[in-house]
Amino acid sequence: MFEFAFNSLGEAIYMNGHGIYVWSVVVLVLISLLSFFIGYNLKIKKFKKKFNESN
Amino acid sequence: MKYFGLELLKLRKKTRSWLGPILVFWLIMIAYPLTIEFSPENLEIGFFSVLWIAILLSMMFATEDIFTEDYNDGSLEQTLINDIPFVYQVVLKVMIHWLLIGIPISLLSFIFSLGTNGNLSLSLLILPFAMMSSYIFLNLFVLGNALSLNKGSVLGAIITLPMALPVLIVLGKSITAIQLEINYSGFIFLLLGSLSIIIVTVPIVVSYIIKAHLE
Amino acid sequence: MIKKFIHQFASPKTYLFQVERVYKFILYFSLVVYFVSLIWGLLFTQEDFVQGNSFRIIYLHVPASFLSQSLYVSMAVASFVYIVWRVKLAAYLVISIAPIGALTTFIALTSGSIWGIPTWGTWWQWDARITSTLILFIMYLGLISLHSSFANYEKADKLLSWLAIVGAINVPIIKKSVDWWSTLHQSASITLTDKPSIDPSMLYPLIGSMIGFFGITICLVIISSKYQIFIREKNKSWIKEYV
Repeated sequence: MFEFAFNSLGEAIYMNGHGIYVWSVVVLVLISLLSFFIGYNLKIKKFKKKFNESN
Repeated sequence: MKYFGLELLKLRKKTRSWLGPILVFWLIMIAYPLTIEFSPENLEIGFFSVLWIAILLSMMFATEDIFTEDYNDGSLEQTLINDIPFVYQVVLKVMIHWLLIGIPISLLSFIFSLGTNGNLSLSLLILPFAMMSSYIFLNLFVLGNALSLNKGSVLGAIITLPMALPVLIVLGKSITAIQLEINYSGFIFLLLGSLSIIIVTVPIVVSYIIKAHLE
Repeated sequence: MIKKFIHQFASPKTYLFQVERVYKFILYFSLVVYFVSLIWGLLFTQEDFVQGNSFRIIYLHVPASFLSQSLYVSMAVASFVYIVWRVKLAAYLVISIAPIGALTTFIALTSGSIWGIPTWGTWWQWDARITSTLILFIMYLGLISLHSSFANYEKADKLLSWLAIVGAINVPIIKKSVDWWSTLHQSASITLTDKPSIDPSMLYPLIGSMIGFFGITICLVIISSKYQIFIREKNKSWIKEYV
């Protein structure tokens, strides 16, 4: 169950030609999650800054 | 009853509001044959889907300013404290729109269907389907327009079009059933059932929404 | 009794303080679970016999598509709470869940269509589940645009809650009718009632990735609701101490 499914790292990236689909989905998911996290944190930071300036 | 006459007069006076959607329907039905390579077979293939979408769009235009004018001149607030409950007023409004716009469009779709495929029994069957679906669409778009009151009908259309999609699917399936001569009465009952649910629930929700607007 | 309970414990202030305490814990836990099960799934499970290596997208696609619907349901529940008991916090939650729901639906859609290229040979099919997911995405966008078009927050909250409830009644109807219209998609691999139809070595990382993704979305909802509370309650005195 825990054995490495590929012979080498290059093969793991290539995945018999399917790698491009798999890894692009991985990148897409990570980027979209990360962008939301960063976006909201920036918004909160901006709000706090503005709030502290006005008070 | 007096209120019914009043509302009828109000819509009838605004020629643009009731004639406009009918003309839009008409123009879409004329535009359809112009966009394809002309031959009777080609025309028949997509005819019914265009018909249902044309009904959908014209109902969207029909409800465009169903509350807007009343809202802007303040008479909507007065109707809330009227003797007749607001729910009934919404039902009446929808019914009048259906009488003045939905019925003519159903008749027109009968004529267009007859003109396209020349099949009288099929075209006669289109009539109840068009009437029921136009009533359902009217109710749904009234809901959308109540939500997006005073913010334009595009927003109302965006939020209510997804709800109209199941009806379109039922319509498409029923046409296939009629054309394949399978028993289609189930579809009529399905539409009737959903219509009876929608007739009761949508005005109640709409009255709550309008109250939220006026608070 | 219930009303009193809700009003005492669901004030934005207590919510914010309580959530702040668990936020870090949930975030780190779910990140670890998510990445461990992703690596396990992507690199350490055996290749699928039929679909080859492209089946590994399942670990990214299924959690997102599962959550896209659950988030809508949770939004409807929050709207119901807002409309019935007038809990302000529920209204804040509704509008903070909406963008997150749109994000997960977007992930489900795009990952699904990328998955479709190697398995079906096309990136788009007018198939029942894809179509209903697309409709769900548009419904999320409609909710967001409805809320943003009203300057009066209270009015926008009420209208949004009504729309969310009506939409939640409609989602199963749309799903059923679209199913009826056409279907080509593989049926759900995990259901709560039946025995799962996939191999355990693939199932465990899938469950792990679902748990991890769920936790990450909860964290996203928490920070978006935090932002929402900040902008809505900026005139309250407790915010000053907090910020």
